[in-house]
Amino acid sequence: MKLTLLIIFCLCMVLISISIGALHIPLPNVISAMLGRGSDIHVTIIQDLRLPRTVLALTIGAGLGASGAALQGYTRNPLADPGILGFSAVAALGAVVALYFGWYALVTPAALLGAGLGALLILAMAGRRKGASVLILAGVGIGALATALTGLIMNFAPNPWALSEIVYWLMGSLRNATKDGAILCGLLTLLGLGFLFFTGRDLRTLSLGEDTARSLGVSLGKVRLLLVIGVALCVGSGVAIAGAIGFIGLFVPHIMRGIFGADPARLIPLSALGGAGFLTFADILTRVLSGQGTVIYLGILTALIGAPFFIWIAAREGRA
Amino acid sequence: MRLALNNLSVAYGRAPILSGFNAEVGQGEFIGLVGPNGSGKSCLLKTIAGLLKPKMGDVILDDDNLHTLPPKDRARKMSYLAQDRTAHWPLPVGQLVALGRAPYRGSLGKLSAQDELAIDHALDAAHCTDLKTRRFDQLSGGEQMRVHLARALAVDAPLLIADEPNTALDPYYQITLMNTLSAQIITGKTVIASLHDLSLAKQFCTRIWVVHQGGLVQDAPPDQALNKDILSQVFNIKWSGVHWEVLSPQLVLP
Repeated sequence: MKLTLLIIFCLCMVLISISIGALHIPLPNVISAMLGRGSDIHVTIIQDLRLPRTVLALTIGAGLGASGAALQGYTRNPLADPGILGFSAVAALGAVVALYFGWYALVTPAALLGAGLGALLILAMAGRRKGASVLILAGVGIGALATALTGLIMNFAPNPWALSEIVYWLMGSLRNATKDGAILCGLLTLLGLGFLFFTGRDLRTLSLGEDTARSLGVSLGKVRLLLVIGVALCVGSGVAIAGAIGFIGLFVPHIMRGIFGADPARLIPLSALGGAGFLTFADILTRVLSGQGTVIYLGILTALIGAPFFIWIAAREGRA
Repeated sequence: MRLALNNLSVAYGRAPILSGFNAEVGQGEFIGLVGPNGSGKSCLLKTIAGLLKPKMGDVILDDDNLHTLPPKDRARKMSYLAQDRTAHWPLPVGQLVALGRAPYRGSLGKLSAQDELAIDHALDAAHCTDLKTRRFDQLSGGEQMRVHLARALAVDAPLLIADEPNTALDPYYQITLMNTLSAQIITGKTVIASLHDLSLAKQFCTRIWVVHQGGLVQDAPPDQALNKDILSQVFNIKWSGVHWEVLSPQLVLP
């Protein structure tokens, strides 16, 4: 029942996301345009602009939601999230390097490379030592370093135009969605989700603590490897296309935990679904709120919703 | 089931904890592991459970070297009840106890009829069938301990290793727990448990290991093991005939 409602919510968001835009297209025409029928202008708008944008919102949201759920399960900490653990920052650093040199075609591969290298670095630091707490420290440290290096690059930006390019990109947006981008991001995210889903059973066992989980046959090294690859694929591809979008991975698993219970294994697919629906909703909101000339960026909006939420969780954990 | 510890030496980092530890355990034994705080009991249990790698020596379980056995195979041969009795998420008791079946399930499989049977048996043996639908975080400390015991029993492994299973239990449940562990050996299982309560160890265990400063100083049936000399030399305590007394700490010359 609850699951059905969640799916209906996601489907509604998809329909609204495809229906709204500068040009009003009636819903029957939207659906026929998705199937390639109707006037050329409608087909172009739907298939080349709105559909890729919607697919991107869905996949990036799903990747961030599932990554957050898996990281929270592994660290057994409700405040873990790909942004806080540095994954987003290293991916963004890769993309910013490409932007600085004006290699626009390389932004996507650079972000993926950044996410991959960052993930390896975090993994190497967390090493064979005791798992979760070291992963958090390593992630926070490497994330801070990546943010500092991103700042340094902006410091050396050759002209205000290049600087504004980087700043706008860092604020996160789906405005530049393309068909190719959507396909690439979608495939990489699917692959990443596959890795994350595989950790579910072991993450559930980890609820009992690391020693007990190991005594039940869980290999912490294997879980961590699957997790880091999965998160790097999901977050890297998302950041590559849309810039840094924070906090989805933090609060979507939290809401899903409240609705569906705390089982870390089930939370991964549920948070993927919830994240997909929520990011599509947030993107719709940016389009509704953005008037002529002023644009509300997606990353700013998710942070504005997410940061107070983070503070609220932290305060509640303190009371508990 | 036959467990052999051959010349086992274990260290945390560079600090040596156990050295030259030799012992054997057969089927149907209930070993009580006793010793003062910091003597190496937990370390020994973790090594037997495969969680710590020995610096030297090996743990042989039946014919296999424990530390080269694949984790899932090892997990089916022994069950480990840790001293840390947390559950990090507010999960229902039934689901936590079902985690004891993790070694038997694939990465996506559902609980089999055999799994369900083992879970029900374990809940029953640990006296927490009535807690099955409750949430773990809403239980008392003693109830949480029983749930963890049920989780360990659900593994249904030939060897059960329990690290201070008695802590946080009231006298009634301490004795009930010892009865539960004793019932395990009647069904042909083997139990190794570290205990601080020497009288319970004496009453229920078939054999006592006394660990002192990282070595096995006594390996005998309870009546012989917990003698006056061991009490004074290892535990620094004495039974006056009326009450317990603490001996003044012995001076150790460097």
